[in-house]
Amino acid sequence: MTNYIPTIGIEVHVELKTKTKIFSPSVNGYGEMANSLTNVIDLGYPGTLPTLNKEVVNLAIKAATVLNCKIRREMHFDRKNYFYPDNSKNYQITQSRTPIGYDGYVEIDVNGTKKKIEILEMHIEEDTCKSTHRGNKTLLDFNRAGVPLIEIVTKPCIATAEEAKLYLEKLKELLFYSDISDCKMEEGSMRADANVSIRKNESDPFGTKCEIKNIGSISNVGVSIEKEIIRQAELLDKGETFQEQTRRYDDKLGNTVLMRVKETGNDYRYFPEPDIPYLYVTDEMIEEVKKTIPMLPDKRREVYVSKGVSEINANKLIQNRPLSDYFNTMLEDNTNFKIASNLLLGDISAYLNKNEKVITDTTLTKERFIELIKNMEDNTLTSKNLKDIIDKILESTDSIEKIIKDSGIENITDDSAIREVIVKIIEANPQGIADYKERPDRALKFFMGQVMKETKGSANPQMATEILKEELSNK
Amino acid sequence: MRYLDKSIEELHELLKSKTIKPIDLVEEAFARIEENKDLNAYITLNKEEALKQAKELEDKEVDNVLFGIPIAVKDNIITKGLRTTCASHMLDNFTPIYDATIVEKLKEKNMIIIGKTNMDEFAMGSSSRTSYFGAPKNPWNNEKISGGSSGGSATTIASRDVPLALGSDTGGSIRQPASYCGIVGMKPTYGRISRYGLVAFASSLDQIGPMTRNVYENALLLNAIVGKDEKDLTSANKPVEDFTRLIGQDIKGMKIAVPNYFMSDIVEDNIRIQIEETIKMLKDKGAVVDYVDVKYLENAVTLYQIIAMGEASSNLARFDGIRYGHSKENPENIEDLYYGTRQEGFGNEVKRRIMVGSYLLSGENAKTYYNKALSIRDDMKKEFTKVFENYDLIIGPTTTTTAYNLTDSMDDPRKTFMDDVLVIPVNMAGLPGLNVPVGFDKEHMPIGLHIIGNSFEEAKIYQLANFIEKELNLNLEVRGENND
Amino acid sequence: MEEKLTREEVLHVAELARIKITEEEIERYQVQLKQLLNDVEKINDVKGYDDEILIASWYAPTTLREDTSKEMLNPKEVVENAPRHSGNYIEVPVVISEEA
Repeated sequence: MTNYIPTIGIEVHVELKTKTKIFSPSVNGYGEMANSLTNVIDLGYPGTLPTLNKEVVNLAIKAATVLNCKIRREMHFDRKNYFYPDNSKNYQITQSRTPIGYDGYVEIDVNGTKKKIEILEMHIEEDTCKSTHRGNKTLLDFNRAGVPLIEIVTKPCIATAEEAKLYLEKLKELLFYSDISDCKMEEGSMRADANVSIRKNESDPFGTKCEIKNIGSISNVGVSIEKEIIRQAELLDKGETFQEQTRRYDDKLGNTVLMRVKETGNDYRYFPEPDIPYLYVTDEMIEEVKKTIPMLPDKRREVYVSKGVSEINANKLIQNRPLSDYFNTMLEDNTNFKIASNLLLGDISAYLNKNEKVITDTTLTKERFIELIKNMEDNTLTSKNLKDIIDKILESTDSIEKIIKDSGIENITDDSAIREVIVKIIEANPQGIADYKERPDRALKFFMGQVMKETKGSANPQMATEILKEELSNK
Repeated sequence: MRYLDKSIEELHELLKSKTIKPIDLVEEAFARIEENKDLNAYITLNKEEALKQAKELEDKEVDNVLFGIPIAVKDNIITKGLRTTCASHMLDNFTPIYDATIVEKLKEKNMIIIGKTNMDEFAMGSSSRTSYFGAPKNPWNNEKISGGSSGGSATTIASRDVPLALGSDTGGSIRQPASYCGIVGMKPTYGRISRYGLVAFASSLDQIGPMTRNVYENALLLNAIVGKDEKDLTSANKPVEDFTRLIGQDIKGMKIAVPNYFMSDIVEDNIRIQIEETIKMLKDKGAVVDYVDVKYLENAVTLYQIIAMGEASSNLARFDGIRYGHSKENPENIEDLYYGTRQEGFGNEVKRRIMVGSYLLSGENAKTYYNKALSIRDDMKKEFTKVFENYDLIIGPTTTTTAYNLTDSMDDPRKTFMDDVLVIPVNMAGLPGLNVPVGFDKEHMPIGLHIIGNSFEEAKIYQLANFIEKELNLNLEVRGENND
Repeated sequence: MEEKLTREEVLHVAELARIKITEEEIERYQVQLKQLLNDVEKINDVKGYDDEILIASWYAPTTLREDTSKEMLNPKEVVENAPRHSGNYIEVPVVISEEA
């Protein structure tokens, strides 16, 4: 799109899914009454001290693991000092010198080619309070103050807006799947900043960097990077230079706007946080955490496809975490996974959506599901009939066999019963026999329709076809 | 009847036998404070609440030796519902909504908080003259300073208003005023006592400690206030011990080191002579006393300035006029709120230290100086550890001079730290240290001996301090008949 | 080595600390801060450390808190000590949005 080579780095802040805040035992919650989830620690009262939430450390280890990072074994926290009203102590506790994770990567698939997006580091820190601007006042709600965050910083190795989006989607999938975060960009539990610069040739030094802050959705990350590249390219084409700056994406303008030009480096006066002793991560801690990591999306995709599930269905399943988890419980069993995926994504999903349920709310145990698959596989149950009894299947605990019987739609699989019906139909339709000689397919279709009509759709179609052919050719 | 001249143990017996009630002690304490009002030892009195609490205690069982005993608390320790100012205009209307862990402990023991004592603003100073409420006066001579920053606590103990007080010590702030006022003051090992609710000056150095009339009562109070606190990650998890347990034991064969630096010409002659006499007495009683070299002692003040002021500049950033405390009226914008609030709320010494600390952490300075200071601090600790491989305790003078005049200049910022040159190394190494009075100078101002122990060996310090106290048997009553 | 800091250096520090300083103080800090730094230079002559020990070595390793919530403040208590508030919110003069 331009004659320049873009260099993009992404910083992502993710709120961790813990019960309490990182440095205080206040509830970590969203959407509650203003200042109802705080204590004196969150408010930075004089004399208060931080304590360190165990679950934050565990989730950070987990994140480092799924992002293929090396995990630091001995670390401390640092204070980042700056005055801002959303920061109750006027310093933020973070990890500047010793991030818990470093040298990791996330693998993305760019048009069929795998690419590793390298992660420079990921560290633990605390979130700020939420400010709302009203006229000439700013209102502060400290519910978010002290919510645990991890910040994940890539190397400047992203080449296009598309790669940036793929990276974020992948990151979101990974963190969501490992129960580290909700990753809801619209609620701010995942926030992305992009650093963008451009240069003419690979051999040139990096161009002047502009940071786009707090982009509200993955698609906006893509748009804002594209727009920013064009903006910078136009300036360079005109022979203009620009200063390092912070910009934001304006949804209405559909473009980035200037927030501030960066001063000669921010002077955050980092120093080691003296209120928190060294944190040591042991092998045992890492092993314990690893046990809690479920099968990750890439692995799931691979396994599903190897079990005969189509790639489309595999992706659809992964997008629906509860279904995918349910599916995973059957992986050791011997069943038809292709049918299983069709059922889960078809009639079962329709039922779940309609009734606003998740699969685990239904009566469909693994055993009953496997029975259902078997009945579908051997055509005891047709797709058409399934629709009639799906509610029963998902709401009662009866065996699938019993439900089918009780509904009177049992496929007539008894050879002689079907043959009796077929013979009767053939005899009543001599014209059909004649047609069969001329245009067998059409006649067969006609007779099948009659058979189904007579049996109210309960005849096993495969079997009926065979008997029909047999009887007709005898005529 | 002057009950408060009696020992804690005597008071305990009287309370137990119902001969007296807690309210008798509380009323007497307030009467004494009123008599000594000119000394300006208190910023806030807890009169109403203390009397109410004393009344309530009448129905309770006297279940521990500190039950019903009045105590004074330095005004940088957070007390729920009781104004806590840190001797600063910034907090002069601040009523906390929680209790420091140590205050909870006092309340558990049913001790009665009489009031909040005067101090240097945010504990920054060594004469308590940076207090927004004016300096306390030395009971031995009202023209002199009480020392600082825990000057009010030292004053109220020396004038015998109450038997017990709490101070805090970042760079000598308990031991130096204890020395100037002729009382016993202990800075325990870093981590002994929870700092939760102690308004932070320099987090890695601050420690609360007991200030008392004598050694035994100091150990009694320490017994009540130590312990791991889940709210303070830097508090130490140590088994319960009785700090009085070695008191009364002989010191024969005890090995004591005296760092040469502590007896060098930085110390006034009359103090050095007094300490030498004490050393001689200890040798006579069978202790082994050697002069030793301890590396880095002369660097301690420099390291202290970097670390303490660096941390302080960050710790005091929270005073911005938004959530609590003083706030500039009608600010034009957020920056005006910050600058105005801090301009009006902080005194000059506090602002100076914040400036210095911010400078030491800014740009490349943190890397060049601050982190290096942290590393050298660790070496200093190792030097002390080496000494303790061969010696039980280290002693020396607590201060280089006795208390000076309230009107002496405050202009030289470095002078302030030189007052504390002998006590600062102990904070830098996280060790316990105690002041015990050993005599008086020509003007009858107290002279103190500084006893330093290895980490968590407070009991040994008390053993020696009590021995010296008994041997010297000084009259430490300001109004005592034998004062000449 | 320069004898004093530049005015700009002093003003930068004052801005970081949000401390107002007078002309007279600027001049004093230009000298005092430099003097202090010269004192501090002495530590560069002190030998004997290899590793960076950035947290006091006498701190025991940090303990971790279980992830269970404890009592919180009522919003009324939160705003009670705040010099300015509006409903349950603490209020400040408007800040241009540039969240860090």
